[in-house]
Amino acid sequence: MPLRLSEGWFAFALVLPALLGIFVVVLFPLAYSLWLSFTDVNLLRATGPAIELFGVRVPLFRWVGLQNYARIFDDPLYWSSLWRTLYFVGAFVLEATLMGLGMALVLNERFAGRPLMRSLLLIPWSLSRVVVGLLWVGILDFEFGALNGLLHNWGLIDRSIAFFKEGFTALNVLVSVYMWNQAPFATLLFLAGMQSVPEDLYSAAEVDGAGYWQRFRFVTLPALRPILFLVLVLATVNGFLMLDLIYVLTMGGPANETTTISWLGFQTAFAFFKFGPGTAILYTLTALCLLVTIVYQRLILGRFEPER
Amino acid sequence: MARRRVGSRLVLYGLVAGITLWLIGPFVWLFVTSISYQRNLLARPLSLIPPEVTFDNYRMVLGLVRFHAEGQASKIIPAMVNSVVVGGLVTVLNLVIGTTAGYAYARYRFPFKTFSLFALLFTRMLPTVVLIPAFFLMLRAMGLQNTLSGLIVAYCSFTLPFTVWIMKAYFETVPAELDKSALVDGCNRLQAYYRVVLPVSGPGLVAAGAFTFMLCWNEFIVAQVLNTKPGTTTLPPVIAGMNGQINIDYSVIAASGFLGALPAVLLVLFFQKYMVQGLTAGSIKG
Repeated sequence: MPLRLSEGWFAFALVLPALLGIFVVVLFPLAYSLWLSFTDVNLLRATGPAIELFGVRVPLFRWVGLQNYARIFDDPLYWSSLWRTLYFVGAFVLEATLMGLGMALVLNERFAGRPLMRSLLLIPWSLSRVVVGLLWVGILDFEFGALNGLLHNWGLIDRSIAFFKEGFTALNVLVSVYMWNQAPFATLLFLAGMQSVPEDLYSAAEVDGAGYWQRFRFVTLPALRPILFLVLVLATVNGFLMLDLIYVLTMGGPANETTTISWLGFQTAFAFFKFGPGTAILYTLTALCLLVTIVYQRLILGRFEPER
Repeated sequence: MARRRVGSRLVLYGLVAGITLWLIGPFVWLFVTSISYQRNLLARPLSLIPPEVTFDNYRMVLGLVRFHAEGQASKIIPAMVNSVVVGGLVTVLNLVIGTTAGYAYARYRFPFKTFSLFALLFTRMLPTVVLIPAFFLMLRAMGLQNTLSGLIVAYCSFTLPFTVWIMKAYFETVPAELDKSALVDGCNRLQAYYRVVLPVSGPGLVAAGAFTFMLCWNEFIVAQVLNTKPGTTTLPPVIAGMNGQINIDYSVIAASGFLGALPAVLLVLFFQKYMVQGLTAGSIKG
């Protein structure tokens, strides 16, 4: 090798392609979107200010200051969507964590067919959210839904239940369907955590006369704390970002009653092609996610990787 | 005591049965509906075992028979091809670029290491949807709107940080003595990486690759917004588009959904051991 690099610069050269890639596909678009949220984007106007990057003319549009933000904060729909988002995230985090932990507790027991169950856990999680939405339509639909069919067979209902007709019900159905898709991943994380608890801790607790729930409370739960934090944070961020299920199941309706911030931003930008206000809405969502990331950094990285 | 044992075994197996039903029941039902006639799904009382089994729905979505909505349904095969191309190329790009970076993060100290690691963590938490307006205008300016290349670029934004992270966690489990002895044996640093460490890193590469492909195969929103021209998009937008049509029977849509889901499900089940290891290691370490 004619050129001898020092160890540090050799490693830097290995990282460089990935960092350049992330700059081009994440950081630059992120900055450009931020810029767009302060401008008056007109998709039909080809002229106007622009910057040339490697021969590509990227339009800059007209700067309007905080006008887009003022407009969205003036809109009562923004605020109702924000409160709805907070409800959605809260309910989703609660359901996904409890269900994830509950399934992990069962699957961590010894029973015949345990390895098979771990494979089954991956099925809901590996489906596209479009398919997740689709298959729950098959179960919950007013006319051909299997659940309505079964309840009818068992004589529990005379008339089919319309799960997507009333706003609050629809919102809760969205929470549960998303939970069905996401909780198995939490279960995998919890199971990995449970496996790292030394077996003799349980035997010792048993010798001391601890019952099942006491062993859970005093041995399992403390050992799972880092993973619990991780699950909570991932669920929170995923809850804020959920978009595709709304597209497939409710389109934000009825009457905007399942419209969350991410759906509002998506609609504003790509259904009404108002990129300025749309990116402004999506940027407030980004700020929320950033806040969660900082908490994540403080609570998890700060505590468990100090020596690196 | 013995009776209590039997009782708790019963409760346990009951719970396991319940979880099994919860996890795969809906997916099995998707398959059942896809081999049923719509009239049998509408029948009350409903029969869980289809009274008539048909593959007409699959014939329709695969374009083997003519029917009234064949315009929408015939897009399935080209969209699947697009999905394979996009997913495959993004996976290759990720493995080449992301793995090298993950290796450097696991083994070396270098300028901007902590800073760039934090940037990676930050990009992992970023909502992809906020980047779409920028991608839309950038790709339009480059003439890459409605092309697979544009999608490939956009998909790297959410896959690359993951790949680096998973591979970093994986390389941390490979003993550093391996590289050291390779260096002693006369390899240079680069050779130590691709001749000695990379060949024993199959499980990590499989985990990262399968995960990347799955993310791309399942992605919906980006493809829906960026590639709107017929024939340029991937499978999920086509399935979602059929779902929005009232003139298409649910059983037909279910067939397209099942076909769309199958590759990702099989991939994940086939590589599950590696994926679970890779993902849990990548997550737990931070």
